[in-house]
Parts: sequence; C-alpha cells; structure tokens
Amino acid sequence: MRIGLEIHVALPTRSKLFCSCRTDASEPNTAICPTCTGMPGSKPTLNRNALAISVSIANALKCRVPESTSFARKVYFYPDLPKNFQITQKDEPVGAAGEITIESGKRIGIRRVQLEEDPAKVIRQDDYTLIDFNRSGVPLVEIVTEPEIGNEEELRMFITELKSILYYLGIDIDRELKVDLNISVSGSRVEVKNVTGMKNLLDAARYEVQRQEKLVKAKQGVVQETRSYVEKDMKTAPSREKESDEEYGFIFDPDLASYKTTGIRIAKPVYASKIAKEYSKRYGVKDSALRELIMFNSGNLALIDSAKDRHGMKALITAVELLQRYASKKADPSVFERVVEIVEKGAYPDKEMMLRIEAGKSVEVHAGASDEEIDNEIKRLIGENSKLLKELGKNPKAFNFVVGAVIKKYKSNPRAVSERLERILKELE
Amino acid sequence: MVYMDDKEFSRLLSICRIHLRESERAAIKRDVDEVLEYFNSLESVDTNGVIEAYHPVAVGEKLREDAPSEFPDIGIILKNAKTYRFYVVGPNI
Amino acid sequence: MSSITEFLEKEKPSGYTGKMLKELSKLNEELNAFNNIADSLGSGMPFSVKDNICVKGIETTASSRMLEGYIPAFNATVVQRMLDSGFSFIGKTNMDEFGFGSFGLNSTKPARNPFDVRYVAGGSSSGAAVATSILKYHVAIAESTGGSISTPAAFCGVVGFTPTYGALSRYGLIDYANSLDKIGIMARHADDVRSVFDKVRGADAKDTTSIEGEYRREVSKKIILPDQLTKGIDEDVESGFARLVEKLEGMGYKTVHRSIPFIDKAIPAYYTIAMAEASTNLARYSGFKYGYRNEDFTQHYNQFFTNARERFGLEAKRRIVLGTFVRSASVRDEYYSKALKVRRLLIKELGKALQDGFILSPVMPIKVPTFEEVKELTALENYKMDVMTIPPNLCGLPHVSFPYAYHKGMPLAAQLVAGHWGDHAVLGIVEEWERHFDYKFKYNIGEL
Repeated sequence: MRIGLEIHVALPTRSKLFCSCRTDASEPNTAICPTCTGMPGSKPTLNRNALAISVSIANALKCRVPESTSFARKVYFYPDLPKNFQITQKDEPVGAAGEITIESGKRIGIRRVQLEEDPAKVIRQDDYTLIDFNRSGVPLVEIVTEPEIGNEEELRMFITELKSILYYLGIDIDRELKVDLNISVSGSRVEVKNVTGMKNLLDAARYEVQRQEKLVKAKQGVVQETRSYVEKDMKTAPSREKESDEEYGFIFDPDLASYKTTGIRIAKPVYASKIAKEYSKRYGVKDSALRELIMFNSGNLALIDSAKDRHGMKALITAVELLQRYASKKADPSVFERVVEIVEKGAYPDKEMMLRIEAGKSVEVHAGASDEEIDNEIKRLIGENSKLLKELGKNPKAFNFVVGAVIKKYKSNPRAVSERLERILKELE
Repeated sequence: MVYMDDKEFSRLLSICRIHLRESERAAIKRDVDEVLEYFNSLESVDTNGVIEAYHPVAVGEKLREDAPSEFPDIGIILKNAKTYRFYVVGPNI
Repeated sequence: MSSITEFLEKEKPSGYTGKMLKELSKLNEELNAFNNIADSLGSGMPFSVKDNICVKGIETTASSRMLEGYIPAFNATVVQRMLDSGFSFIGKTNMDEFGFGSFGLNSTKPARNPFDVRYVAGGSSSGAAVATSILKYHVAIAESTGGSISTPAAFCGVVGFTPTYGALSRYGLIDYANSLDKIGIMARHADDVRSVFDKVRGADAKDTTSIEGEYRREVSKKIILPDQLTKGIDEDVESGFARLVEKLEGMGYKTVHRSIPFIDKAIPAYYTIAMAEASTNLARYSGFKYGYRNEDFTQHYNQFFTNARERFGLEAKRRIVLGTFVRSASVRDEYYSKALKVRRLLIKELGKALQDGFILSPVMPIKVPTFEEVKELTALENYKMDVMTIPPNLCGLPHVSFPYAYHKGMPLAAQLVAGHWGDHAVLGIVEEWERHFDYKFKYNIGEL
C-alpha cells in the first residue's frame, strides 16, 4: 500500500500573500481589496514574510531550494476563485526533493513545497452560494509527499512529525489543515480530495484503504478516480473529475517577478523528535517521555537544553513535568533550577511545595524513598493480593493502583515508581 | 490544414467556458487552424539553450512588507456585486 | 511652448469648459471617441483615459459588454499621478474590446476617423487618438500591447508614444497581456508627451513590474531601416516614407539598411504570448462579481459562467480559445515556451541593432483604410497588419508614432524605435522633426 499526501498549511503572516489585507478578520468581507477579490485592474505584490516562511519550511523539510523562485497561474473555474486562476508555483517552487524522518526511522520523501494563495470561502445555500473573500489570498504552503506512507500508523507518525517541525517554525498546522490523499492498495491510484482536520484525515485514509482492500479481495479491481470524503457518513464517495494539468494550462504569472531565495533569512529548523531520540540514547531516558515534553513545546526544550550539562536528564524531565503540572505561569529558569535540585536530592515536590518554590519561599526537602524501599513496598502490595498480580499486566487500573499506593506512602516520583513496577513485572514473567 | 478535430475543439471550448453559436463556431474553428499553422512557423527557429523571456526587460523583485492595512473603499467593491448580509452572492455549486 | 503651458497661461472666457464639453459631446455622437464624458471639468489641462484604465467611481468597461457597469474602487496609478499633477479628467475613451484589434472595430460603437468618417480610427486605442485629434488642449492616457498606440495615432495624425515596458505603472490597467501591456501617451506635440511622461513614470509599489528606469537621453544621428518590414507594402506608403527618409537625411541623419535576424517571427511569437496571457486574464469574467451580472444564481456554476461569457465579442472568444490551447500542458513547449524563447532572441538582436541608433519604419503597411476595406480581413490577415508595430511591443522597446505628411487629406505616419530606456531620445527626434512640420487637424474643440 502506498499513501501520498498534499497538505495545505496556512502561514502565520499578518497580511495576505499578494495584498495588504489582514488575515484574521471574522466578519464576512471586511478584509478585502481589489486584489483579493480579483477586480479588473488590480495587481498582486508579494509578501516578503510569506516568502521567507515558505523557504524556511522547504529548508526544514530538507528540500533543495532553488536560487530563484517564481509563480504560475493555474486556471480553473470555480466561484471561490476570484480570478478563476490561482497564483501558485509550478516550475520553480520554493522547495523540491526533501524528506521527513518519522518516529519509526523511515524516511518519507517530500516531492515539493510550494507557496500559493487560498481561495475564498463559499457557503452553499439551497440553490445559490454566499462568498466571503476574507480568506481569499491568505498564504498557503502546499507540501506534496512521495507516495511512501505505508499504513495508518505511518500516516499518523508523518503528520505528528510534520506538525512538530512546523510548530518550531511558528506554524500551527491545526489552524487550517487541508489534505488531498492519494491511496493505492493495488496499483490504481485513488485521490481523496479536500479532507480537513487530523481526525478526518485518519478516518478517510482508514475507510479508503479498507474499501480498496475489500475490492481487491473480491477481485473486483479498484477504479482510478477522484473521490471526496463525506464527513457525516465517514465514507469516501466518487466526485466530479477536476481539471488535470492539461487543462490548468500553467503559465508564468507575468504580474510577478522571479524572486531570489539567497538573501532570505531562513529560520533554523528544530527536529524535536531527533533530539528526543538522541537524548534518550545519550542519557538513558525514555524516548517517549521526552517526546511528550518537547515535540510541541519549545519552552520545555529550552529548559532542558539550558540545564542538561549541569544536571541529570531524568531529573530534568521530572522537573519539567512538575512545572507543567503545577507552575502557574511560564516557568522562570531560576524556579526550574530549584525544582531540578530538589528532584536530584530524591524528593518529589507536591503542589504545595511547588507553589512555595514558585513564590520564592523556602521549602523543607526530605530525600525520597530509595529504589529498594520502593521495590519492597511494591512486592509487599503484590504479595498481599494474588488477584492483583494477575491483573497487573493487562489492566492499567491495577497498575495505577499500585503506583498510587506507593506514591501515597513515600511521595515518590510517579515515573520512578512506574519504572520500578515495570521492572518487577518483567522479572516475575 | 486541420490542427484540431471537432472533438478536441469542443473540449477546448468547455475548458474555457465558451459557448459558440453555430455561425461563430465555424468561423473560429477555421481561424484556429489557420492561426496555429502560422504559429507553427516558430518551429524553424533554433532555440536550443535559450531561456524564456517572461518579461521584455529585467524586472527586479519588489517585495511588500508584511504590514496589514485596510482598503478604504470596500463599499464600492461590494456594490459591484449582488450581496446578502455582506456576503457576495454566487452561482449554485 | 508646450500646449500644456499655453493652456494654463491663456485666459478662458466664462462658460468655456461647459461649452467645450457640449461641443465635444455633440461631435462624439458622430465619432464615438468617448465611452463616457465627464459632467464637469476642473481648470487643469484636460486628459482622457482609455477605457481599460481604472478611474475610481467611473464606469470602466474596456469597451466590453462583459464589463458594463463595472465601477472601480480605486484610481490607476497613472490616473492618480495625472490628478496629483493638476490635470483634469475629461472622460473614458473608446477602444477595441480589451485591446483586441488594430482598427477599432471590435467595439459596439466603433470610433470613426475625424479626418473622414468613412475611414477607421485605428486600434485598439481608437478613442484616445480621435480625442487627441479633435481637442485642441488635451492629452490622452492610452495603452499598447502590440501597436495599440502607434496605429490609431498614425491614422488620426497625432503623436503616439509607447514607453519602455515597465516605465509606467500598470496598476489599474485591465490586463490584456501583462508582459506586453504598456500604458502610454498621445498628444498633438512631442513635448507635451514628454512633459506628461516625466510626471507619471517611475516605479510603483503597487505594480511589481514597474521600474525606475536608467534613461538614456543621448540622441544619435543614426537611423536604421529594416527593409524586411517594408517589403511589399502599399506604394503610397512606400514613396511617402522614402521622402521622409530623404528629409531626415537632409537634417543630418545618417541612414543604414539592416536586416534583423528573426524579426519575421515577431508576429507569431507575439500573438502566442499575448493570447496565452489574455486567456488567463479573461477567465475572471464570469458574471457575478462586477460588470455584467447573470441574475440566475440557481444555475450550476459551469452553466452560469458559460452563459455569462457569451457576452464576449467574437475576437475575444477567438483569443480565449487560441490562448487556452497554446498553454495546454501537452503543447505548451511547442507554442507558449517557444514563443518566449524567440522573444529572448529578438530582444537580443534588436538590442544589438539599437545600440547606437534608431529604427525607423512606417506604422502600417497600408494607408488609413476605410471600414469597408478592413471588414473583410480574416483574423490572420488582421494580425499580419501589425508587422511594424509588433517587434518593439514584443520586446518592450520605447517607440513613437508621428505624422510626417498628408496624402489625399489623410495622415501618413512613421514609427521610431529606440533601445530600452531611450524614451526621451525618440521623443527628442520627433521634437526636432516637428520644427520642420505643420500638423493639420480638422477640429480644434476648446480652442482659445
């Protein structure tokens, strides 16, 4: 099975791609001008920031960024497209031939990254439409992958990875996640258009894969076609063939120039999942614990990086978790430092203590229980109740019960207790 | 010479959402063939290694700073269309 | 003294502008120079605007039934700069629909030649040329894509100037072919043209392709005659042109005959690019956002658009169809890309030729034709008439068309072309020529 994606991401600019209208208006048609409504006589001018962000994305996705980039007109007729052509990129996109490494270690190729304008919003009425041009001209980046995603799990990993990379560039993918999926189980490619949001994406992919697998199993063959996702039925259904490249008739947009990419300040990419993997290896901590903290939180990453040469990684992770759970505001580095020191002494502050630390008050630190003490307590609890032992391996409730009991007694770090319990269970197997 | 058969011509018309009356259709079809034959004379020019001239003069890049501003005459824009509660009314989809 | 200065200095009798506008409206019924005329006029030098250039609040149609009722919400940069320089807006001038035509016929009410109404005014800036030819004090903001200033200026006996591509902002110009469209100026004297040009030119943040040019003002005395273009032209045009060359030689100009490689490929390259770009520009006209409105919103959008687009004239439809074809993915390289490459070659060749001189030719291979004479031309025959005006337009070279003689009461005109940014230089030669030439006009509305 092969899945390829075309992902549209809205860029966090203040003004639109080709005009100065703002991008955050909510009342219909209040952020419009002759350019984004396609009035005759209007002309586009390119937003410097949108170009810079798109090049930063291409760079972060390890694409080849050409020396100069240009725009093309893609002609098709639809009421949401003010000029009946979209200004997009064809021959010289901001990026080509890149890749993303997902959690499993597999590399998914990025075919191209292009900068383009969003169409308007169309609201369908009974037998006419209502159009709001506020969205028209909002800068989008379209990311096209190679058809190298092999299953739903990889699809989820891919989106998570992409989302994290974009998060570190200041882009919130959830603001407008619009995806076209290409899915081929047996060789014929089916395109599922206009899927919006993460949940729909996974649902649409799952449905379409199963649909194709059923057809293949029944030896009925899969028709190469364009489908669309019907959210209320959680199904895909055949849709009208859209125009193909032949009909789009791309030409260079002569209202615009070629733009050099060399002078652009490119934002340095951060690959949080790579960092998590590296640290977990180097410091012997759990990859998943780090991912949890840093994939979508640059503040956490900064705290860890600022102290990792002076403190143990385990303590840092615990301290960040504590801050995340109890700190009332964005953590101050000095507060963080104190929490780390306390954790390193073997204590595990509760809410009250955390509040005192934050308030700059003194706290009394008692060293926590040793591993041996924790182990003994766990064994005692298990030994008391043979039914519990049976449940532990499969029932998270039972697992949490034991952890909770130990914490209650020693005020220990839940993570440490969980780890001890897991180890004991393994030994018992 | 005929460069486009009738089916191809019809396809082309539907791509550009142009409907021709019978009299127009015959005239334009004939012109299309004649003009394309003329355009084909470009074939004889050796353009190996030549780069497309998208503009006749060197057009420097002009970038706009990302500072929003409000267009002062939105009212005139919307007056050009039929509107309903600030939405522009469009055809059925 | 330029007529702009003259106009501003002269005492105007009371009721002058009212009387002038009335006279103009009356003559306009016969000549169709204007699509609309202002109700009142300020005290500045009057200027007209071709109807494909936006004037805020004034109906702007590019003479297309598709755009009837379009009210721009903004002024074109060139219009704004004219107003800021103290000129007074007098009206929107007639043209071939969207600029598609060389004779002014592709308009619901074709403009007529002021010297003799049986003759065409030329196109596509037909109305601008007629207005210039009938108004004593006036300058016209016109536009050329492939000869739309030179040709009507020639037929109506006025000076028609097309600047280097990018010299004047296109912001507010309704696009025909964006990489070829140039706003330009018509007037009764070259110095008026120069004076207006210097007020409106210059880079504009609203038009990416506008340029602050490095102008070359030195005037060379070398004139290049491209014989390839004048082969087989009308005899009267040929002999008239030969006399012009003689006179210029008498004024100290040196003439050389030169053959320019690929110049015979300028027309197919031009029309390929122009139609490809035009077919994308005309996609936006779909009958609901501005201009003509198809009121039946219940129609499915494809039908709705197709019905609305029936309002395009025949030439517009022809260019949409051809333009859509030449940029189709499967033939794009053979047509659209090829034409752009040929343009590159031609820019290089013409640039070489124009390094130290100017190209001089007639404007059209024919004398001013009558409506009868051009009615029967096929599309291709029409396109081939632009043989002299297309090379400079395709390559964005500044050029000026000016009358040099009168034949049986109708003007004969020539076209001078300079290298990029030699705008002032070509105008300089025409200014020099004017010292040896008397312009003739049949009407002088607004004379003081």
